[in-house]
Amino acid sequence: MAVAAAAARVWGSSRGLGRVGLLLLRQPGARGLARSHPQRQQQHFSSLDDKPQFPGASAEFIDRLEFIQPNVISGIPIYRVMDRQGQIINPSEDPHLPQEKVLKFYKTMTLLNTMDRILYESQRQGRISFYMTNYGEEGTHVGSAAALDNTDLVFGQYREAGVLMYRNYPLELFMAQCYGNVSDLGKGRQMPVHYGCRERHFVTISSPLATQIPQAAVGAAYAAKRANANRVVICYFGEGAASEGDAHAGFNFAATLECPIIFFCRNNGYAISTPTSEQYRGDGIAARGPGYGILSIRVDGNDVFAVYNATKEARRRAVAENQPFLIEAMTYRIGHHSTSDDSSAYRSVDEVNYWDKQDHPISRLRHYLQSCGWWGDEQEKAWRKQSRKKVMEAFEQAERKLKPSPNLLFSDVYQEMPTQLRKQQESLARHLQTYGEHYPLDHFEK
Amino acid sequence: MAATAATAGRLLRLRAAGAEGHWRRLRGAGLPRGFLQPASADGDAAQRRQVAHFTFQPDPEPLEYGQTQKMNLFQAVTSALDNSLAKDPTAVIFGEDVAFGGVFRCTVGLRDKYGKDRVFNTPLCEQGIVGFGIGIAVTGATAIAEIQFADYIFPAFDQIVNEAAKYRYRSGDLFNCGSLTIRSPWGCVGHGALYHSQSPEAFFAHCPGIKVVIPRSPFQAKGLLLSCIEDKNPCIFFEPKILYRAAVEQVPIEPYNIPLSQAEVIQEGSDVTLVAWGTQVHVIREVASMAQEKLGVSCEVIDLRTIIPWDVDTVCKSVIKTGRLLVSHEAPLTGGFASEISSTVQEECFLNLEAPISRVCGYDTPFPHIFEPFYIPDKWKCYDALRKMINY
Repeated sequence: MAVAAAAARVWGSSRGLGRVGLLLLRQPGARGLARSHPQRQQQHFSSLDDKPQFPGASAEFIDRLEFIQPNVISGIPIYRVMDRQGQIINPSEDPHLPQEKVLKFYKTMTLLNTMDRILYESQRQGRISFYMTNYGEEGTHVGSAAALDNTDLVFGQYREAGVLMYRNYPLELFMAQCYGNVSDLGKGRQMPVHYGCRERHFVTISSPLATQIPQAAVGAAYAAKRANANRVVICYFGEGAASEGDAHAGFNFAATLECPIIFFCRNNGYAISTPTSEQYRGDGIAARGPGYGILSIRVDGNDVFAVYNATKEARRRAVAENQPFLIEAMTYRIGHHSTSDDSSAYRSVDEVNYWDKQDHPISRLRHYLQSCGWWGDEQEKAWRKQSRKKVMEAFEQAERKLKPSPNLLFSDVYQEMPTQLRKQQESLARHLQTYGEHYPLDHFEK
Repeated sequence: MAATAATAGRLLRLRAAGAEGHWRRLRGAGLPRGFLQPASADGDAAQRRQVAHFTFQPDPEPLEYGQTQKMNLFQAVTSALDNSLAKDPTAVIFGEDVAFGGVFRCTVGLRDKYGKDRVFNTPLCEQGIVGFGIGIAVTGATAIAEIQFADYIFPAFDQIVNEAAKYRYRSGDLFNCGSLTIRSPWGCVGHGALYHSQSPEAFFAHCPGIKVVIPRSPFQAKGLLLSCIEDKNPCIFFEPKILYRAAVEQVPIEPYNIPLSQAEVIQEGSDVTLVAWGTQVHVIREVASMAQEKLGVSCEVIDLRTIIPWDVDTVCKSVIKTGRLLVSHEAPLTGGFASEISSTVQEECFLNLEAPISRVCGYDTPFPHIFEPFYIPDKWKCYDALRKMINY
């Protein structure tokens, strides 16, 4: 009984604290770190003579030896709005988004899917060096991106292209980065899918996992708070990256420093070949949030409305209350980890097919659209043709363009080029004058 | 809560009072009579703890930056931080224990002056501190992070090398974290042993994209730190902890800058070039005097100041003149930064060299406790190496 009560205190805390949080709503724009966080003011001592005085915890004494049992059998419940057939379950949770917006959701997810197919294939044909698809996770990207303001800063991991696509990043620039051609904003320096866009507030992707969590996200969120920017920062990562030390650091800093940040975990079941049963033993990532003092929720990541609702509410409160939120979006990685991976080596085709056919964010939304009368087979056919054509055109153009000048190998290491580096740049130029025929100079700008 | 913090703060300050303060306590100051027999007056040399291996040599009072004040190194750092926070409303200082003033007192008074949202403690997590600092800098605000000892910078190595250093390059200059500065106490302190004495500059020298700067004195520290903070690239500023209290000189109150990537020839000479940075500059200065006195040898003494990008031209110009080079640092010999200097100089100045380049460094061991006097590249080892070079 006491165990259940203790467990309820841990699991129930996310709900209970939510109400407390509402009651202790801060004025928007308040800069004060002067007040301690609402959550620390909860506990009221009874008038026992020997109440605990420890600075480290706000709790009562107990005279029975009991270990708190982590609850992984019935873990934190998964919030959803639509069933697997795209029907709204609880009408009061329907966000009632206008047709135009929902169509944008659908078109973004399907365009991403089409682009993924074509670019994956292009890697197989040796036209680009590497690619990562987003199959099955399109709902997590689009639902969350739609719930943010356009100026909210995004830090991703590498499987969030749909966020950028929702913000209207053109196909030409996706392709330019993958091909590393002259149009690439990143100047050809990184592997494919390491997108970045200052204009659309999407910080450039880097390969090391979870580094974006403390860094980018928590520091940037703190600065946004100080600047009274009324902006939230969202930070995406997978359930595997959540094992990194940087994730722990980021969560703890966000909570102690009271940062307006949404931590968005895409729990897609696998980190390359490592299933979640080998990644963690607790109740996923959502259960870690309360350990840091962070309001947390678990959602059905394949339900674009559930993702939307959770992100929308988290954003509203993060900015208003200057505290972090953790959203764990449960989903499934239908594709391989990357073009360097063949997932049939570690999972069954049946498992993959289940998700592809029975619980896909795109089909669920399509069913919803159809039942609203906003989409039909004719439109589906026309859109498939149109989106494929758009992608193919961008793809062909990207392939024809030159790569950037080799001089760009040397710039941007520092804001100004150091003397020694300039000498190295000159030495390469001289080398190419003599040995240029052995280098693919024809494909590069001068 | 505040009272306990204050007491803890006082204890920490006592502990961090520096080499001489600690030494005074151990020699029996303040202990009740009869509790311990005090060490005898003329003392067995083996029982008494050592005096410092160097003598700090202050530079003449700078006249071109306005009014000066006597400051030690940690006060010069505080002054630089104070100037920065005054000038730049986005600037924030954070790290472990910086709020009460820091374990070396570098941030005393700043929280009261600038507010809790600008000078604040973080949880105990170096990868978090640096990661967080990068994030602040990405938004364009000025982030001044403190790592409590350079020995503890390694958890942040990934954030520094894979993220901070590469931010601008990998994004094609769409994003950068140039307004990040990381400060950290550095170098031997007499009793620091493995984990309070390290000089890790060589690990970072191998990382294009960051700057690494090490001052030899309070005046240098303030000017170089201000330059690091204002520099548009992420910088690591190592502060020789043994100099925090021991180094005292006149330092301008107003802000001023000392340029990065410029070595300083602090004494001209014709026979040998001596290069060092941080505390070791004072060691080689003394070696230069010894060489002049005992051997009639004229030494050119160079303080490198910035480790990367380093001032190749000044060092090479000197070696072309003298024909002999000695580089000295506390960090272990193998892979230490003297290797880089040596390699470059022999490439650029091969025909000018009269003798092999000499490196006088720590041994290839972790930094020992009781054996520190034997470990460090002191003036006798440097003098001996110099003598061998002259007689080559």
